[in-house]
Amino acid sequence: MKELLYKEFKLAVNPAFYILLLLPVLILIPSWIYFIAMSYLFFIVIPNVFLMANSNNDTFFSVLMPVKKSDLVKSKLMSVIILEILNIAIAVPFAIINFILYKNNFFMDPNIAFFGFVLIMYAIFNLTFIPGYYKTGYKIAFPIIKAIIFAVLFAFLIETTRFVFPDMRTLFDTRNGSIIWQLLILVAGIIIFVLSNIAAFKISAKRFEKLDL
Amino acid sequence: MSVLNIQKISKTYANFKLKDVSFNLEKGYIMGFIGVNGAGKTTTLKSILNMIHIESGNISVFNMDSEKDELQIKQNIGCMFGGIDFYPKQKIKCIKDVVKRFYDNWDEEVYRKYLKYFNLDEEKKVCELSNGMKVKFNLVLALSHGAKLFIFDEPTTGLDPAARDDVLEIFQEIIEDGEKSIIFSTHIVSDLEKCADYITYIDNGEIIASTLKDEFIDSYRIVKGSKKVLERVKNDLISHKENSFGFMGLIKFENINKNEEYEIFEADLEDIMIYYAKRGASDERIIV
Repeated sequence: MKELLYKEFKLAVNPAFYILLLLPVLILIPSWIYFIAMSYLFFIVIPNVFLMANSNNDTFFSVLMPVKKSDLVKSKLMSVIILEILNIAIAVPFAIINFILYKNNFFMDPNIAFFGFVLIMYAIFNLTFIPGYYKTGYKIAFPIIKAIIFAVLFAFLIETTRFVFPDMRTLFDTRNGSIIWQLLILVAGIIIFVLSNIAAFKISAKRFEKLDL
Repeated sequence: MSVLNIQKISKTYANFKLKDVSFNLEKGYIMGFIGVNGAGKTTTLKSILNMIHIESGNISVFNMDSEKDELQIKQNIGCMFGGIDFYPKQKIKCIKDVVKRFYDNWDEEVYRKYLKYFNLDEEKKVCELSNGMKVKFNLVLALSHGAKLFIFDEPTTGLDPAARDDVLEIFQEIIEDGEKSIIFSTHIVSDLEKCADYITYIDNGEIIASTLKDEFIDSYRIVKGSKKVLERVKNDLISHKENSFGFMGLIKFENINKNEEYEIFEADLEDIMIYYAKRGASDERIIV
């Protein structure tokens, strides 16, 4: 498994993409929709990582190695998860600067609850995209479009709910909101993220096992 | 000792069927796996590596089950699929650095030795290698992890005659110690004449023969005769070509009728392949 992850980051993930992981810097834009800053990862980075892997015959290369097919799926998913966690880790300092610099934002603040929601957004993306990709092992376009739509819809829902139900706005507000509620959402986000990735792995591994390569 | 044993494997695709494919490769030999394009060579080789799911039959490699013991088997296999480049823009040393981590028996010293022997420059990118060098690079990787079975799909396709000869000579060197075996598919018959001990011939998903090369060639003859004779012997022939003087056809040695008025010639591998490819085609033969 660790040799597969090594392969992912040595060969499949182009180092240029690490620069794009700095895009959460956009959290420093005042009063913006910060979900967008966190979405570039699946708008640009993840589709390109998969497209490049495809054009380099990565799947074929990997199945020739002495590895289980399910480990191959696991390592791909793990590389996506690592990129997502890195993206969040990079976003946190910018969120803190945002907190120091600006008063309440018009849209959702980049607070603790926000990162819980981001985890759920990534969970939705992974659960849609990874099993979709492993239906064929090479088709990317449709699964990625579907996954992006679902993830963006979720972010849209969170932002709009805050306007429809002003109570939620108070609850999630950085300065006056309830820290317990925010922490609860973060914990829920972590749980949903973990469970969705386990489900994404199980469905994908099953599908990939059935494929003729 | 059998290194690779395939028993009655079948696989159905929309337009193609692999039918009860069986053959056996002994330790220390080179087997040429021949057949025209689309005959089922790659499908068979992929099934050994569990890349496709067979519907019936058994494959055992080093006397282990190819499905159950896949990982252990793959530790001892070196393979290459023609025309498929992996990470062509990466340097050789970068690919090696990844590949070596997968194998328990990776030997860096052996790697260095063969790299030098084949004149490969580690700093070169895969796409900068000629086709012949790519085959050699794959051989180096396989030899460095101590592969005992080499599975090469069309390793000589696209190589110039000198490079081809070079690769085939290396194949022979590899098996010299009697510990390693090679199965390679090709549709270039001269490759087999040069280095194969055994031949497995596949046509339209069916194994026609799997035997010693000379035995295989010797079991066929080319016959020539008039059109009148053709009418009588048509059913004995694998297939035939008609021309203005009469016909020419391929026949199994045991079907030769000594009293028939046709001339008999020795067949070569190319003849056998061509006539089998014609088998089953429409009766409108090509007029030569």
